[in-house]
Amino acid sequence: MSSSDSSLSISSEDPSDRNHDLNPKSIEDQLASTSLVEIDAQEPEDHREIQNGVDYASAGEGSHHQEIENNDEEVIVDAAQEELPSNFGVPGGLVEVEEASMGLGRGGVVWMRTNSELEVDRPSSPSSSGYAGERGSSGASSGGVSGTDEVVEDEIQEDRNDAVDDVLDSQASWVPGKRHVDEDDASISWRKRKKHFFILSHSGKPIYSRYGDEHKLAGFSATLQAIISFVENGGDRVKLVRAGKHQVVFLVKGPIYSVCISCTEEPFESLRGQLELIYGQMILILTKSVNRCFEKNPKFDMTPLLGGTDVVFSSLIHSFSWNPATFLHAYTCLPLAYGTRQAAGAILQDVADSGVLFAILMCKHKVISLVGAQKASLHPDDMLLLANFVMSSESFRTSESFSPICLPRYNPMAFLYAYVHYLDVDTYLMLLTTSSDAFYHLKDCRIRIEMVLLKSNVLSEVQRSMVDGGMRVEDLPVDLLPRSRTFPHLGQHKLPTDSPDRFRESYAGVGGPAGLWHFIYRSIFLDQYVSSEFSAPISTPKQQKRLYRAYQKFYTSMHDRGIGPHKTQFRRDENYVLLCWVTQDFELYAAFDPLADKALAIKTCNRVCQWVKDVENEIFLLGASPFSW
Amino acid sequence: MGCSASLPDRSSGRLVGANSDNGGAPDAKNLRVKLVLLGDSGVGKSCIVLRFVRGQFDPTSKVTVGASFLSQTIALQDSTTVKFEIWDTAGQERYAALAPLYYRGAAVAVVVYDITSPDSFAKAQYWVKELQKHGSPDIIMALVGNKADLHEKREVPAQDGIEYAEKNEMFFIETSAKTADNINQLFEEIAKRLPRPTTS
Ligand SMILES: Nc1nc2c(ncn2[C@@H]2O[C@H](COP(=O)(O)OP(=O)(O)OP(=O)(O)O)[C@@H](O)[C@H]2O)c(=O)[nH]1
Ligand SMILES: [Mg+2]
Repeated sequence: MSSSDSSLSISSEDPSDRNHDLNPKSIEDQLASTSLVEIDAQEPEDHREIQNGVDYASAGEGSHHQEIENNDEEVIVDAAQEELPSNFGVPGGLVEVEEASMGLGRGGVVWMRTNSELEVDRPSSPSSSGYAGERGSSGASSGGVSGTDEVVEDEIQEDRNDAVDDVLDSQASWVPGKRHVDEDDASISWRKRKKHFFILSHSGKPIYSRYGDEHKLAGFSATLQAIISFVENGGDRVKLVRAGKHQVVFLVKGPIYSVCISCTEEPFESLRGQLELIYGQMILILTKSVNRCFEKNPKFDMTPLLGGTDVVFSSLIHSFSWNPATFLHAYTCLPLAYGTRQAAGAILQDVADSGVLFAILMCKHKVISLVGAQKASLHPDDMLLLANFVMSSESFRTSESFSPICLPRYNPMAFLYAYVHYLDVDTYLMLLTTSSDAFYHLKDCRIRIEMVLLKSNVLSEVQRSMVDGGMRVEDLPVDLLPRSRTFPHLGQHKLPTDSPDRFRESYAGVGGPAGLWHFIYRSIFLDQYVSSEFSAPISTPKQQKRLYRAYQKFYTSMHDRGIGPHKTQFRRDENYVLLCWVTQDFELYAAFDPLADKALAIKTCNRVCQWVKDVENEIFLLGASPFSW
Repeated sequence: MGCSASLPDRSSGRLVGANSDNGGAPDAKNLRVKLVLLGDSGVGKSCIVLRFVRGQFDPTSKVTVGASFLSQTIALQDSTTVKFEIWDTAGQERYAALAPLYYRGAAVAVVVYDITSPDSFAKAQYWVKELQKHGSPDIIMALVGNKADLHEKREVPAQDGIEYAEKNEMFFIETSAKTADNINQLFEEIAKRLPRPTTS
């Protein structure tokens, strides 16, 4: 990467600089000036790009640039849309960083290759021994779950006018595995599902279906395939077809077609992103070299190759309704004291230096620390898919494993080898390498890592963080005094134990100050986000999913083509006030009580940003972002 | 630290190593062997290993991904110990091409089928042939008919297993990971058949 050196140096200096930009004083200045100032002097792009370092001047000048959001066609009815002043200037130095991360991180077009690639020569596998069609234990694994009556995901409810489809669909109540295998495209229940996902081959052979048995859906797949051929002939690779309340979204990748049929009212871009992830998950399991099977035999049946992976896909699809990483394309960290995360990072770095490509320590879907070998960069989407694969495959929990996996954004053609080991119930270590016989070396690495983590109490701190949880809107500091860089509820800075409970009780059902209910802050520079804990009144899974969908919609509209360097959006409907603020540094999405005062809400958003800055050492992985290199 | 530990048994021709882990002199009384389990998905490979290593049986299916590594040491009556380093491979078809990664250098291969599934018996024969072609020449092979507790659903007669094993110079046993029947015997019989390294 030619630009890697320059942006690397920026990335190591930058965080402190950016703290200046987020100086609370400028927030106050901003608020003091009448709120709806409209200055539409566009700052020239190139002007900013030349700047290297922080441009304080621009903060005062033309950067009060502001855009009035253009609603796309799918606007929420009754959404009151107003502008709010965007607060800060564009720090000049960040432009370059962002570009660098576009090239590698977001764009993901730059594949890094390693010399020891190993591709599976699939046709030589026993499938050619006449064993094709045997679906192994995939039937067994899903069969056990399909009998569970109380598990209902995206259940039949066409007649509900509720935008949120499934009541029981939360992380807690969800049980992995494919449901309703007994259904086929003739069953009424199958037709009434709110959201279908399919993968099929260009010859119309079913590969995967979220509901029902792939083999029984053959007729339906053929229909979809016919539509796709039509779409393809028109020259488009991806297409949206609307049919009443249903959207049909196609994603064509070589011989493999992914389709979503949905009446969930999610934006097209979101559904398309979900299809990309589903396709990526398949690549993670098989690599793109599976395409060759179709070159040899267009009618190739791929389902046996995905045997036993239903649970991986269903868990990914489930995450589309609770995990913001699926649309933010960023990862999130487990909150930890800076020193604790450093200790973990140091030993991972040590191991990475000994020939490990990526060393990743995670707790559920949150990162504790991660390290990449020099110049190796890991895309947040790959992390999401990898974590989903590992967490949904139960067998990783029973013992240490060594398995081929492919990181689609890193190199979709080749397998890497993953050593996976659970250090405790939720915490797992993944060591990725290009070498197929590195198992014993990686095992030794793991033993070393585990010893260090135990000695430096990292694992017990991880446990504690799991119990304590992350940022809570109730804890948003009300004063703007410089805060200690510790969570109020973490460690030393805790208030006397009897008071916080009472304090919190008075907030019960109200959320945080100024009616703040929830927020998500995404650092563009770090490719990381932090999301506040859900608390009353967003307490039920149903409410959480509705808010999640609202954020997702908001995110899509904020990322619509042709947006400026920063912009804001304020919407009020019967459920919330939603406020979004995008700058070159970060994106903030916040939900408030629908009756919240606008000026106060804006002020509160600024406080949230300040709060995030104050605790960034604990909520983000700093200084080791391999993504933006 | 380093790669020195990787696949120590591949370089030397000897598949059964004396346990000289701790830098001690090679000891004919403490053997260490690499064992690989092969067989179709769902035949119970992981259940056999978990029964042997942890004495547990979990009926919920946990399809293996890639391969799992476990080890267990047993003591024989002649007071030798054998440490099994076990590769429990995934039977899913997509991993079949990677099997050499795991059986390469293995001293023992345990090929498992499910007595209620003729398909899995056919697959077992595929693995035996593959090992004869590509495995270590002096590999010890065992043929295991698992799920013996499901005798009312049996579709592969024990005689078929016995005959095939005899023809291919394999050790044959029927086991049940569920009831623990013959699980320890399987590994003890393997241990007895291991060549003892001659101490110098
Ligand atoms: N009745 C009975 N069931 C068994 C026995 N052994 C395993 N099973 C069941 O068979 C299923 C599959 O067992 P596994 O051990 O996961 O199969 P595997 O061979 O490891 O499969 P892969 O990891 O996919 O290759 C499980 O659901 C077990 O409950 C047995 O001895 N008796
Ligand atoms: Mg298994």
